[in-house]
Amino acid sequence: MNAPIGHYQYDAVDRDFLASRIEEFADQVGRRLSGALTEDEFKPFRLMNGLYLQLHAYMLRIAIPYGTLDSRQMRMLAEIARVHDRDYGHFTTRQNIQFNWIKLEETPEILRKLASVDMHAIQTSGNCIRNVTSDQFAGAAADELLDPRIHAEILRQWSTLHPEFTFLPRKFKIAISGSPQDRVAARFHDIGLVTRPGADGKPLFRIFVGGGLGRTPFVGKEIFDSVPEEDLLMTLEAIIRVYNAHGRRDNIYKARIKVLVEALGIEAYRAAVLAELAQMDRAHYRLTPEMVGAIRARFASPVLDAPADAAARLEADRRRDAAFDRWVHANTHPHRAPGFIAVTVSLKPTGGSPGDATSAQMDRLADLADSHSFGELRITHMQNIVLAHVRQDRLFALWSELREIGLGTPNVSRIGDIIACPGLDYCALANARSIPIARKLSARFGDVALQEEIGVLRVNISGCINACGHHHAGHIGLLGVDKRGEEFFQITLGGRSDEKAAIGEILGPALREDETVDAIARIVDRYLSLRDMGESFLDTLSRLGDAPFKEAAYEAA
Amino acid sequence: MLHPARLGAGQKLALTANRLLDGVIVWRDAAGAWWSAFDRAALLDADEAEAALAGVDAQKDGVVGVYKVAVTPGAPPVPATMRERIRAFGPTV
Repeated sequence: MNAPIGHYQYDAVDRDFLASRIEEFADQVGRRLSGALTEDEFKPFRLMNGLYLQLHAYMLRIAIPYGTLDSRQMRMLAEIARVHDRDYGHFTTRQNIQFNWIKLEETPEILRKLASVDMHAIQTSGNCIRNVTSDQFAGAAADELLDPRIHAEILRQWSTLHPEFTFLPRKFKIAISGSPQDRVAARFHDIGLVTRPGADGKPLFRIFVGGGLGRTPFVGKEIFDSVPEEDLLMTLEAIIRVYNAHGRRDNIYKARIKVLVEALGIEAYRAAVLAELAQMDRAHYRLTPEMVGAIRARFASPVLDAPADAAARLEADRRRDAAFDRWVHANTHPHRAPGFIAVTVSLKPTGGSPGDATSAQMDRLADLADSHSFGELRITHMQNIVLAHVRQDRLFALWSELREIGLGTPNVSRIGDIIACPGLDYCALANARSIPIARKLSARFGDVALQEEIGVLRVNISGCINACGHHHAGHIGLLGVDKRGEEFFQITLGGRSDEKAAIGEILGPALREDETVDAIARIVDRYLSLRDMGESFLDTLSRLGDAPFKEAAYEAA
Repeated sequence: MLHPARLGAGQKLALTANRLLDGVIVWRDAAGAWWSAFDRAALLDADEAEAALAGVDAQKDGVVGVYKVAVTPGAPPVPATMRERIRAFGPTV
């Protein structure tokens, strides 16, 4: 086949590697089933292949590098959902997909199916460098300085089975944005890369280190502000070497790089990295333009030709249909090419489970990607799906088809666009259920006109302090806690993951589950009554502090 | 993996695990057989549960991660915690 739009084209080396890796795992599964391997011996092997034993069954986490899929890959995910799971999958905040009801004995077959479309589940678990995430508007955004997927792919190849970094003190997450605007939560990653313009016209990388959420949340600190492309790998290698050498291995809760950076201070950490860099062979690590070009050549580019009147036709469609106009307003993003637009398909239907898609929806999304966006889809860290290259004159048709499969909800970045972890309904680590409260909140604010009136308001829900729902980064965050067997939710306000990244502050005592949705509703009502014209929730919070919201939240509790 | 189970007044203990082949949650009956239905679980006193746990051969039984769960008596009895109720009866969504 021709190179796919949007992601790297595998070659024989990639495919042979995957095939041998699957046969190795199939042998390990066979030895586990025969009793030749104990569970303790087998566990590290299954985790290296993305297979967890969760609350109800085995859970398989499949890597979606930089969140990008082609339509045949999406159809294969649909098949796995249909044949090997319970007819749905859950897209995650790491731009991956999880299946919750997998059978161990079927796992080698599933991995073979994935490999047939150049996919795998390697390094979706374990103390290694995980899936590198990227901007959902990569290659489409007007403000982009470079296409971050090329560099994300380089980092994927560099980090896959990296002999030094396979057993780090703890898991390691990298995100990369090709734009100065941070759409990847770079400052909440172990390493976050944000691009800025260089003096000679070549983009440079700002590198943030030591960000993260979980039980000890930190905003990442800028360790370097001007790393050229050719020194990118060397610099990352040095940063992770320092972590690998000095990160704590005696306490799992203090093992992430954020704890080391905080303990040393960013100046000392930078000095240690510079010392490491000074004794490295720069020529060996140099990322040459030829190397970057060779990777870039494995990505096909879409031919972005649109009729001259595409924008005018979109405007006419918007004037003709108010519901469509509302969806365009909420769910689209400007495209660099005239006549095109990037679309975010909300996986947050009113009252639904955030990030879930049925096999039928996946199949249909693959069809729509073929007919409207060069066969390419992206999973966002907000648990939605992007069709990045849609012709403006065809947007109305796309919207109409999305509505037919229940995916036309106009709520992106609104209160209904809730990010939630699987919570206690599925996760062995959780203390509280995330999905039911997300559904209740979504239903409570189901009126899309009200959501539009409220404006941008991000709600993030985590079922435990591990913060997979990124509650610290939510404008409104909810953290589920267990109090003597009862679910309570702690509310945080003011978190954000953009260039002004901040950790939400706890509003007060946790509320009972059945009090929480009402409390959020009162907070939103108070915001609507206090805001100045056009003022966002975060700006009102910044202007007034949390006192009025605290008063609202607890007035009837 | 053993999970501590604190016993409240009148509570009993059941043994649970995941089935090795497919991960399905199973409960141990009085004869030592494992069932996916919670209502087949033997409800045991603390000493009985400890002895039963010690007698499990997980590999032979085809199960993983055997541990004790507190159960509140009633009609019918139910696991005492939300987590174990979700394991016994499935996701709430």
